[in-house]
Amino acid sequence: MPSAAPNRTDDAILVVDNIVVRFETAEGAIIALDDMSFKVRPGEFLSIIGPSGCGKSTLFNVIGGLLGQYQGAVRVAGETISGPHKSIGMVFQEESTFPWRTVVDNVAFPLELIGMPKAERAERARHFISLVGLDGFENRYPGELSGGMRQRVSLARTLASEPKILLMDEPFAALDEQTRLLLGDKVLQIQQQLKQTTLLITHNITEAVQMSDRILVMTYRPGKMKRIVDINLPRPRTSEIVGSEAFGRYVAQIWSDLREEASRGMKDAESHALHTSS
Amino acid sequence: MTSTPAKHSALEGLVPAAVGFGSLVAFFIAVEILIQFGLLNRFIVPPPSEIIGSFYRIVAEEHVFSRFLFTAGECLIAGIMLTVFGVAGGVLMHRFRLLQQACETWVAALASAPFVLMYPLFLVIFGRNAWTIIMMGFVSALPPVILKTIEGLSGTRKVLVNVGKSFNLSATQQFWKILFPAALPTIFVGIRLGLIFALINIVGTEFLINFGGLGQLIEDLAERYDLAGTYAAICFVILVSVLFFMALEKAERWLRPAG
Amino acid sequence: MAETRRLTSAGTSAPFGSSVTLLRAAIILGVLGLWELLAHSGWLYRDVVPSLLAIGRALFALLTSGNYYFNLGVTAGEIGLALAIGGLSGVAIGLLLGANRFLSKAYEPYLYYLGPTPKIIFFPVMIMWFGVGVESKIALGALSCFFPVVLSVAAGMRAIDGVLVRVGKSFRADPWQMAMKIYLPAMRHPIINGVRLGLGFALIGTLLAETKLSNKGIGFLIIQAYSIFDMPRMYAMLIVLFVLAIGANALVGRLGGLDSIKRS
Repeated sequence: MPSAAPNRTDDAILVVDNIVVRFETAEGAIIALDDMSFKVRPGEFLSIIGPSGCGKSTLFNVIGGLLGQYQGAVRVAGETISGPHKSIGMVFQEESTFPWRTVVDNVAFPLELIGMPKAERAERARHFISLVGLDGFENRYPGELSGGMRQRVSLARTLASEPKILLMDEPFAALDEQTRLLLGDKVLQIQQQLKQTTLLITHNITEAVQMSDRILVMTYRPGKMKRIVDINLPRPRTSEIVGSEAFGRYVAQIWSDLREEASRGMKDAESHALHTSS
Repeated sequence: MTSTPAKHSALEGLVPAAVGFGSLVAFFIAVEILIQFGLLNRFIVPPPSEIIGSFYRIVAEEHVFSRFLFTAGECLIAGIMLTVFGVAGGVLMHRFRLLQQACETWVAALASAPFVLMYPLFLVIFGRNAWTIIMMGFVSALPPVILKTIEGLSGTRKVLVNVGKSFNLSATQQFWKILFPAALPTIFVGIRLGLIFALINIVGTEFLINFGGLGQLIEDLAERYDLAGTYAAICFVILVSVLFFMALEKAERWLRPAG
Repeated sequence: MAETRRLTSAGTSAPFGSSVTLLRAAIILGVLGLWELLAHSGWLYRDVVPSLLAIGRALFALLTSGNYYFNLGVTAGEIGLALAIGGLSGVAIGLLLGANRFLSKAYEPYLYYLGPTPKIIFFPVMIMWFGVGVESKIALGALSCFFPVVLSVAAGMRAIDGVLVRVGKSFRADPWQMAMKIYLPAMRHPIINGVRLGLGFALIGTLLAETKLSNKGIGFLIIQAYSIFDMPRMYAMLIVLFVLAIGANALVGRLGGLDSIKRS
């Protein structure tokens, strides 16, 4: 059942307050995000789901501090951010491992930046490499690994900086379904173990319901919050839960919200293609 | 992060170009002033105004047009030879896999070889005439044409080849109707590269052996210590070279509308 | 050596195996045989195609003469300096142009269109500016080498995968860390390829300048052999030159190729 959102999150670790993002393009002004507001509790797993073009990635860049031009504010533990914040760790959608560094050097990257001595950071890195299940691959290069393994390296790298909030933008989008489910299991396991506050941006309903405590459904552009859904499925959750009845009900509920927005998006794309020259 | 509306972006493209051009003009004006005030030796760097003045003289007195035709003729002959032998060579190597496997790395190595340094040898073999120059252009530009032809033919998407097979085309039909047309864009890239190499080596050889058209003009003027004339001739040759390059780019784009 | 070449060329190795080596050997022997035939046929003017033995003798004499190594040293030094000057300035300006869109739009078109022009024609100007000594040769070599390097580096900068830059920013790397830990490592292929091209052009530019006007260096020796019509010696020098040029190119390429295992 959808809940009334804000009141229960007074101990919020992340506050997104009235974010409005406007882009100027050749065809005029586009409002990507309109009055986006929500709060995230410590230790919570929150998924943000929406159709393509709803501004999810814009939101990712705003919270991550890579996009600076917007109205409103993002606050981490009370502090308003002005650029990438040290308490927020980002995992990108695209391949982002450094191809010229070994796995351990990739994962140790954030530790290197803060000047941690070599021996210490190698040991720390190994801990996180083990956490994502890549023991034995420390000295391999990303080119020798599969796509799923590389995303695990990116995840380990971000975790190594021990962020209070883990922010992920469709990290499994490029992977096949089975790998995605298994990696989802892994991320869940890690999140439970570390009690990591996690914000996952995705377009995959199954993934969102499987992993989250709450799901925020976005409208199509201009992106606003359409609904927040509490997911009251028992923890610990594994990929087996995907078959249960309660799971199916949540998926159906979110899909009916999403379908309306997704079809608006499709109509928009069709008319755009019709009116622009190739 | 924000992009400006259409109207602004057209201007936005002009501003850096104007700044670039303007700063170069300013630079030449500065050089002119430095020379006129004696701060730069005019016997090492002639004043830009004098160089511009020489242009007319050079064009009128030095038969620039007929020299240009001479060089262009050499390029044309070299270009035809390049196309015929380069494409044929590439086709042969593609057709006979064994030949390709044996020779492709050799051709690739030769693509970076300093052929133009063989000009004294070519002088001996062909004599001090246009053939030395043409052969110099031809030989140094051959490897890229061959390599690109092979690349184009080998790079035909497998699915297109299968379409041909599904229609039971013979090997010859397969080649002329599918492989060759599919390879043409890449082959044109190779010919363009080859033509550029050929022009560079032809003009260079003309300069070095003091025979021919435009390249020889520079050498001639330099030997006569006509400073301003030499600079003017160099500018002129650079201009011709740049226009040639631009024309080739346009031609390639015209032949390859989807590219 | 031949093993690895067979494996990497044209993909398959199994069905043709040693036929490739056989064909290569046949081609080489065929060419040498034809050569020897021409040499002894008397069709061409004496020594235009010298016998293989004569070339061999000249090669031996060349490689055992101190004078040759002296001149080789001079040329190598000139090329080295030309590569250093042209290469370093090319990398520096290339990085600047690649990083800054405005500067790139303002100045890069000039470099792009000036690139494919014969630089040897600038030699008279180089002589006027730097005199008839080694400086003018180095200057021409540097000029020849500058263009391919700057264009290659600028393009390489622009081609850096945007996500890698965002990773650095998301971890709040400062500009120095961004340059050293992200931009430069991401650029190693364009830089190495640029250097490879630059080496080739520096070599050609310097040597051509030497053939035109100098009193030492390999280029000078080649023209000297030409002027006294000592063809076996000229062939010998050209052979050594080609081997060295192709070898240097392969060496730099190998240095870049060692990275290939790291590429995704």
